[in-house]
Amino acid sequence: MVNFIEILIRGLMLGSVYALVGMGLTLVWGVVGIVNIAHGEFVMLGAYFAFWSFSLIHLNPLLSVVLSIPLFFFLGMTIHKRITERLMKAPELSALILTFGMSIFIWNLAQFFWTNTYRSVPYLTGSFPFFGLVFSKSKTVSFGLAIAITLALFTFLKYSRLGKGIRATSQNSEVALVCGINTLKMRAITFGMGIGLAGAAGVIVSLQWVIFPQMGSSYISKAFAIVVLGGLGNIQGALVGGLIIGVLESLVTQYMSAKMAQIIPSITILLILLLRPTGLFKR
Amino acid sequence: MAANEPNFQSLMTIRLEKRQTWLGITILMGFLISIPFFATDYWITLLVLIFIFTVYASGWNLFSGLTGYTNFGLAWFIGVSGYVSSLLIADYQFFWLLAWPIGAFFVSTISIAVGYILLRIKGVYFAISMVALTEGTRELFGTGFLEPITHGGTGVPFVAGIRLPTLYWSVLLLAFVTIIVCYKITSSKFGLRLIAIREDEQAAETLGIHTTRDKIIAFVLSAFIVGLAGAIHCTYQNYIDPTYAFNIQLTLTPIVMTLFGGVGTVFGPVIGATLFTFIHEILWAELSLLYMAIFGGILMALILFFPQGILGWMKEKGILPRIRKI
Repeated sequence: MVNFIEILIRGLMLGSVYALVGMGLTLVWGVVGIVNIAHGEFVMLGAYFAFWSFSLIHLNPLLSVVLSIPLFFFLGMTIHKRITERLMKAPELSALILTFGMSIFIWNLAQFFWTNTYRSVPYLTGSFPFFGLVFSKSKTVSFGLAIAITLALFTFLKYSRLGKGIRATSQNSEVALVCGINTLKMRAITFGMGIGLAGAAGVIVSLQWVIFPQMGSSYISKAFAIVVLGGLGNIQGALVGGLIIGVLESLVTQYMSAKMAQIIPSITILLILLLRPTGLFKR
Repeated sequence: MAANEPNFQSLMTIRLEKRQTWLGITILMGFLISIPFFATDYWITLLVLIFIFTVYASGWNLFSGLTGYTNFGLAWFIGVSGYVSSLLIADYQFFWLLAWPIGAFFVSTISIAVGYILLRIKGVYFAISMVALTEGTRELFGTGFLEPITHGGTGVPFVAGIRLPTLYWSVLLLAFVTIIVCYKITSSKFGLRLIAIREDEQAAETLGIHTTRDKIIAFVLSAFIVGLAGAIHCTYQNYIDPTYAFNIQLTLTPIVMTLFGGVGTVFGPVIGATLFTFIHEILWAELSLLYMAIFGGILMALILFFPQGILGWMKEKGILPRIRKI
């Protein structure tokens, strides 16, 4: 029983990071209308950012988390303005193929420059004992960081003027435009936010697991499962979806095998799209 | 400017005379058939790859190009058919001429069910679910659960007892038949219905087109064609394992080729496959490490600046007539 609770909590910690990635994807999808298949690659870039800044200038990874947000935000905004904004008028699937190409481009470039050698950021090692349960430091701190970022995101979206503009564009971009909201600016900002979330998630991930160029692919699979679970454009849904996926993965890894756990995102996507395509939660 | 346009068109329009095209085809086929008699193994294998990817690209285009449902799960067709065919050859000593069609039939039969379930989902979601299917199947084939049949993740090296020239002629035949099939379907009423689905599915339904049935037929046909080529491809490589058989590159490459040549056209995939295999050879020799990155970059550039492909561009400019047949 104690073991089970430990697995559950570990799942929640895992899920919190997945949720960050998922929320970024669903935000972009809902507001900009683009499915960013390269989203996982930005998680990878975030992880490498943490690694290189830690290795080269001994930057505290916790600082990297904070730094990565504006850095990746501007990266995302630039990419949107130069590349994806051009596809606003094109059929939806063009964006799909474009981001597909972008994904291939980014991780292969990373492989070329940084090789496939596994990297890691050994900053937080050891564990906390807690009422008879043991949790690793890195995972706990990561959980805390993920919660902090999520709270910041929700506060921003709910209370700030920009946040309201973003939500309006997400609900109906034409009406938002008529109301005087600069939807072009909203889209650029949202894309930047999505990438910023991915980058921050990447730094958080670097604290816990190995870093390698192709790591993005597992994150994008899970992100899709989360977005589909939570409902397109639904950020709270993505949060819950992320936690669910994390817990599921933790449970399956424990009671079946790690390999079987890799199938979870695929099965989730197929099941949800067949049984309840709008996602578990209404928009 | 307007005064110049008609002159340009009448000068540059290529007229397709029936007798000339038949003569051209016969000469080309004669040449290709005779290749194994005088060319080196290097050139034969290069052509084998060109033909295999022509079939992949044409098979993808047959479904996705005409109906507009971007199929990101081409590797699933290849992997499933490849596994069935290769396991039959390796573990049960089947003759390759039997194993290949059985692999293709297997995947196309399952595709009936897959298509029936997944083709109700439109656009982006369909693409994602095909990727999910491919990833899931790849993982599944690697698990211990299926290991007795699929040999798990370790891969199966095998030899099919087929000589290179025979393999070459088989693929040549397959590519030839595939192009004819694509030509016939695209020019037919069925092809027109598929294009209607792409242009506006709801309007097509209103007109009385049975969209689900037609989509499934195209999907299954695509599965069969690609499955056959996939089985041959695995036999050619004398090896199969989940990572190679369900590799995303097998999905990506035919799509890039078709985009380059012209989506929805008959000969677009052919042109794209031929040109890209040559480019691949050059890139692989010179810059093998950056090869995939360049491919991704090319894909992005194509979508942004040249989405209609070579044939699409030629049709827009009036160099080629804007008919479905090409």
